[in-house]
Amino acid sequence: MEKKRRVITLLSIPSIWLLLFFVLPFTIMLLFSIRETTFSPIFPPTLSHYIEFLTTPVYLRLLLSSAWIAFVTAVITILLAYPLAYYLIFHGGKHRLALLSFLILPAWTSYLLRVLAWKVILGSNGIINTFLLSLGLIDEGMPIFLYSQSAVIITLVYVWIPYAALPIFSTLERIDIKLIEASQDLGASPLRTFLRVTLPLSTPGLVSAFFFVFIPSLGEWVTPSLVGGADGIMYGNLVQTQFLRGLNWPMGTVMSTVLLLIVSVFTMLFNRHVTMKEMSALA
Amino acid sequence: MKLTSVFHLAVVFTLLALMLSACGGAADGEFVILEWAGYESEAYWEPYAEQYPDQPPSYSFFGDDAEAFAKAQSGFEFSVIHPCSSWWQLYVENGLVQPIDTSRLSNFDNLYPDLVALGNFNGQQYFLPWDWGYESMLVRSDLVPEMPTAWADLWDPQYAGHVSIFDSSEVAYVVAALTLDIDPYNASDADSEAIKQKLLELKPNLLNYWVDYTELSQMLAQGDIWIGANAWSDSYAILLDEGVEVEYLQPEEGRLGWVCGFGISANTTGASLDKAYAYLDAVLDTQSMANFGNEYYYGVASEEATKLLDPYIIELMDLEDPVAALNNTFFYQTISEDQRVVIEQIWTEVKAGQ
Repeated sequence: MEKKRRVITLLSIPSIWLLLFFVLPFTIMLLFSIRETTFSPIFPPTLSHYIEFLTTPVYLRLLLSSAWIAFVTAVITILLAYPLAYYLIFHGGKHRLALLSFLILPAWTSYLLRVLAWKVILGSNGIINTFLLSLGLIDEGMPIFLYSQSAVIITLVYVWIPYAALPIFSTLERIDIKLIEASQDLGASPLRTFLRVTLPLSTPGLVSAFFFVFIPSLGEWVTPSLVGGADGIMYGNLVQTQFLRGLNWPMGTVMSTVLLLIVSVFTMLFNRHVTMKEMSALA
Repeated sequence: MKLTSVFHLAVVFTLLALMLSACGGAADGEFVILEWAGYESEAYWEPYAEQYPDQPPSYSFFGDDAEAFAKAQSGFEFSVIHPCSSWWQLYVENGLVQPIDTSRLSNFDNLYPDLVALGNFNGQQYFLPWDWGYESMLVRSDLVPEMPTAWADLWDPQYAGHVSIFDSSEVAYVVAALTLDIDPYNASDADSEAIKQKLLELKPNLLNYWVDYTELSQMLAQGDIWIGANAWSDSYAILLDEGVEVEYLQPEEGRLGWVCGFGISANTTGASLDKAYAYLDAVLDTQSMANFGNEYYYGVASEEATKLLDPYIIELMDLEDPVAALNNTFFYQTISEDQRVVIEQIWTEVKAGQ
């Protein structure tokens, strides 16, 4: 009894925190979605913004293209992070934790700073352009590497690699080396061992890495606003515009609610593949 | 139970914090100016400081007009506010400001009548113009194959991928309307549709939408863009200072102009109201305005103050004949809430469209 009471007491502080600073503000925000304009009263409520969202093709199209950007980012990130984690585990030896720290080190500097650094690399007078100029491949510096969808993907992949490498690292670390040895003893080639033993056993890490990258990238707005330009605009930018310059909080709320619903679906899928036990093992 | 008392304490503190954060703004008799960040320098209101030596105003800042309006409309208590002309009508429509008794302001008669007229609603003066500036195309003359001469040239394919425009629904709407010879403030639904199509046609030429002017200056200096649309005169001055080859166009359709000014909150009464009038008269003082213009490289709302501007700024802004300069400028008019909704919707669809 005493123990149970203690647990309840301990949990109540974070619960109240969540209630006051998440559930309550979120409810207030939801109530905005049924207002006529930002400052009109809740009554009479209207669904006009939801209808407008569903009947104006640009919103859904932008949501789809943002999902595509997030998906491509997640896939490329995993493709790059997996070999990194694999190398650290199987060839890093006793230095692997130190090497992992080096990998994470850049993540300790400001996110904004790292995104801005890409402006320096990709800009007209940036490193890539200067290099191409010196090779004589182009005649003048071009900003094409910056302000585009590819610039958004490049920057996001860079930012997320350490975060994607972490869960892959921990699942690989937990693979019993004996299983791999057994596979090799039974005559499997290194490739076959990887495909039939290592890769399947690291799936939980892959799935969490995918969602670690995909979910935050879907709602991303800082990176596209800095390096995206006119073509690289994402759904999050539009949500931001609705709330700030647009002063259309009802529409902004509708847009973020739709995003939240989609992310919740993905989170449920995520939870189905990765159980709490595996999550705690990751941490 | 120790934990329970800790928990009780936590609840009490949380509630206290919430109550404290819910307040803010002007307490009784406090004098609060809702102002653009950076505009609080005492050099702009010295006569007020002489009159109320120990009672400097408190400031609350905003970064753009939408933020200021949201703050005022959601109940933030202010005494004096400084929005720009296109938002003035919204404040009047929503009863947030009170008519100004201009006879209480010794410096009122110096103001340019044309700009004063923009702050007049239903025969009453709600806003007093103070600062104004141009919006035009800032062009890297050394990089463009051919100099543009009109707003319509923004659409010229020879500049494809080298144009940036200010990320503002209203600015984009007015520019497109000008090139189509549509009056942006009396546009029919068909006109608005034409403006939207026109803006969609601009997209292949756009590299990005700029949000703050340092970003715009950097892109021009680095040559990422050749034309910065709806650039302000201060960006021009900064780039000239850095030795970048730029020209600030006088487009065939005319430069656009913004003007901002002061209004008094509808809730300001008694001693605060006296302070509000003293403050307004202080900022409208010729020397105060000139101090501002010389610091920010913007225009000021009276001819007397314009004469006190640095000769370099006068040349930079073509203010040798200020009245002629104002007449050649197409100033943003105030727009109603309904118009704003239409314009915002168009800009959203343009930005999100492919």
